[in-house]
Amino acid sequence: MLESLGLLSPALFGQLLLGLINGSFYAMMSLGLAIIFGLLNVVNFAHGAQYMMGAFTAWMLLQWAGIPYGWALLLAPLIVGLSGVVLERLFVRRLYHLDHVYGLLLTFGITLIVEGLYRKAFGSAGLPYANPMPGGLRTGLGYLPYYRLWALLASLLICLATWYLIEKTRLGAYLRAAIERPDLVRSFGINVPRMVTLVYGFGVGLAGLAGVFAAPIYNVSPTMGSNLIVVIFAVVVIGGMGSIKGAIVTGYLLGLTEGLVRYYYPPLSDTVVFIIMSAVLLIKPAGLFGKGAIAQHASTALDSKPRRMPQWRAPFRWAFLALALAALATVPFVLYPVFLVKVLCFAVAASAVNLLLGYMGVLSFGHAMFFGFAAYVAGYLAKVWGVTPELAILGATLVATALGAVVGLLAIRLQGIYFAMSTLALAQMVYFFCLQAPFTHGEDGIQDIPRGMAFGVWDLKSDLSVYFFVLLVCGAALLMVARLVHSPYGRIVAAVRDSEPRAVSLGYNANRIKLSVFVFSAAITGLAGATKAIAVQIATLTDVGWHMSGELLLMTLVGGLGTIVGPIVGALALISMQTYMSELQDWVTVAQGLVFCVVVLAFRGGIVGSLAGSWRRPSQPSARQVLTPAAEPTIR
Amino acid sequence: MHDIHDTQALLDVRKLSAGYAGNQVLDDVQFHLLRGEVVTLLGRNGAGKSTTLKCLMGFIAEKTGSITFEGQPIVRCPPEQIARLGMAYCPEERGIFSQLSVRENLLLPPVLRDGGLSLDEVYALFPNLRERSASQGTKLSGGEQQMLAIGRILRTGAKTLLLDEPSEGLAPVIVKLIARTVLELKRRGFTILLVEQNLRFAAELADRHYVMETGRVVDMLTREDMQRDTGRVEAYLGMGHA
Repeated sequence: MLESLGLLSPALFGQLLLGLINGSFYAMMSLGLAIIFGLLNVVNFAHGAQYMMGAFTAWMLLQWAGIPYGWALLLAPLIVGLSGVVLERLFVRRLYHLDHVYGLLLTFGITLIVEGLYRKAFGSAGLPYANPMPGGLRTGLGYLPYYRLWALLASLLICLATWYLIEKTRLGAYLRAAIERPDLVRSFGINVPRMVTLVYGFGVGLAGLAGVFAAPIYNVSPTMGSNLIVVIFAVVVIGGMGSIKGAIVTGYLLGLTEGLVRYYYPPLSDTVVFIIMSAVLLIKPAGLFGKGAIAQHASTALDSKPRRMPQWRAPFRWAFLALALAALATVPFVLYPVFLVKVLCFAVAASAVNLLLGYMGVLSFGHAMFFGFAAYVAGYLAKVWGVTPELAILGATLVATALGAVVGLLAIRLQGIYFAMSTLALAQMVYFFCLQAPFTHGEDGIQDIPRGMAFGVWDLKSDLSVYFFVLLVCGAALLMVARLVHSPYGRIVAAVRDSEPRAVSLGYNANRIKLSVFVFSAAITGLAGATKAIAVQIATLTDVGWHMSGELLLMTLVGGLGTIVGPIVGALALISMQTYMSELQDWVTVAQGLVFCVVVLAFRGGIVGSLAGSWRRPSQPSARQVLTPAAEPTIR
Repeated sequence: MHDIHDTQALLDVRKLSAGYAGNQVLDDVQFHLLRGEVVTLLGRNGAGKSTTLKCLMGFIAEKTGSITFEGQPIVRCPPEQIARLGMAYCPEERGIFSQLSVRENLLLPPVLRDGGLSLDEVYALFPNLRERSASQGTKLSGGEQQMLAIGRILRTGAKTLLLDEPSEGLAPVIVKLIARTVLELKRRGFTILLVEQNLRFAAELADRHYVMETGRVVDMLTREDMQRDTGRVEAYLGMGHA
């Protein structure tokens, strides 16, 4: 009957089936993510990479050892899970007593390493995995391939079994109790640290299993997990972190919705999850199944207490300033000016990220959307409308500001890690928009953007003159950031970071302060992106992708959180790495991942933070939580 | 007072120092428990009583000195290992799991050794809990939560109980019930270390009292000392002026 109404055509049936299968992957993945977050307090960014590892392990088992699908179904999750156990024991464990942000950043670094290595080894084109169950059923509704039916049923079973294990068994009761009070559960004689390790292994193994299920349906490719993880984050934000049932139900619903949208309006199919997420954020910020408000302290454990740079006496300060200006003026004659231009632009963008993370304790994982989108707008204005560069930059900055206001309104009510995940997901929405909108020229990007005449008189054709133009713009932007940080308003921002309830009790509207700083930061990032587009003459998808957001964060971290100079140093370090190692390609990603991990694990002050720290008080120990046993997750 | 170190001491704490985030809270704490005794740690807020219990249970990893329990050094042991030696801990804030029902809360701690109470025996001690066994743990009244927190650790077979301020914030009737329970447990051979601020409650129950002040044990009183000379303790607790 449905068919006669034209509602359920075979094509729609196929999309719905695929949607359900994707939904079961979403469910399995967000389930693992939710358990891991509950017990370890770590948002496992590497979940997508571990899904990819599952698929590749199955592929390698088949190709190299001749082990068929059936065994791979058992072995691959086990191998991936074991790799998770090792990871937890060696690295993740060290971060439990710190803010969530570090767990996210560490696993982000691990993701870069794993993806880079797999790309190096297998190329990024993707490899086929033979369908272990060819053939299918012809039903009245449409063709039903056996394998898809199997994948659907098996993964549904896995989800239900996991739910039963956690909600109905004794082991699950230990787990739920340990999420609330790990210390007490330990005092009952249960080895919680071991449980934590195993739970991480289990969650990671689930991701690996989803990867094995996916291998015959999609190609096995190193990037298969990297877009999935962002969707999973959106699923988690929609469902609310606390609920196992919520993770499963939300996963399936969203998969189904995607299938429907892919049939009725394909252009929206990649973004629909993020649109739903935005709507949920507006209506019920704790998520559909989340319980109550998400109350977490803003990053009290962040190593970002703004350190003051050593104060020089006045004559020295003037001498230093003169020296710095002289250096800035002469350096383009020594180094390639376009390289310097990049460093300057990224330094500005990184200081905008730092303004949020270092000074306000808020991690935005989506700043690429402001950077990249402004780059596109500036490119379009300069190339198609033919406006002068300063107007193109101004226009693009305004657009980025508006975008920042929208994103900020949606996300600012979320705390801590939820904020990071939702900004990441919203940025992905912007990414897909840029991928599909005609004016961005898709994969090609906007190329040959004319530099034009600044203010109608200053010809920017030569690299040298563009350097001084960028120096002017970026110098002004950096001064603005520094001015904000050291202004009385900056003190209020610091107060909100240190204790939001206290700031609120003193009569400050914390959300409004956070929002305005977020919008300011978006504007500055947009300015940087626009300037970059004009000066380097190209705006591409790379500038909007989440890897770019990660790079901006990395610059901030490497340089030193909560310092003015840090992001500049960080940008210099990273752009040098990219420029001078560019022939190594995938190794750059791996190296970036390594740097991420090292900085997060051992070097949280960054270059500037560590230098300044050792300069001022060489012997004083830092006031970390020395007494929290490293193995004990502190979960509120 | 410290020369009565008995080789038979069930729990022997010597030169225990510990702290949080670089602030020293305990400084050379020294005391012991004999098997079957009920002993209290008395002292003002911030004297280090709760911290002492947390050290004994292994929650605070960074500590120096020696703690011997059942003849074994446990100063370096994690909580789960100490639990298996027969020690159990009931926190001041009770730590009832909101995700679990009363019954599930009671059944959560695994039985680690013989000699624990059965569920029915726990219900016999605290009849209220039987009535509310299906309720969510955190929906109970303060007194019922305290009963649940104590009842929960009786099943495990642990014979040494660390109770952190069990009488705090409770109605007098409930305090009496808790006191009766403690005496009943003593009769059954449990060894109990209580942290208390309620002097009358403590005096009624305990065989001996240690007084803590600024992270040290400064005095020890027997039950007789306490009855003979209440002023001695009240002076430490600053109650004489009230």
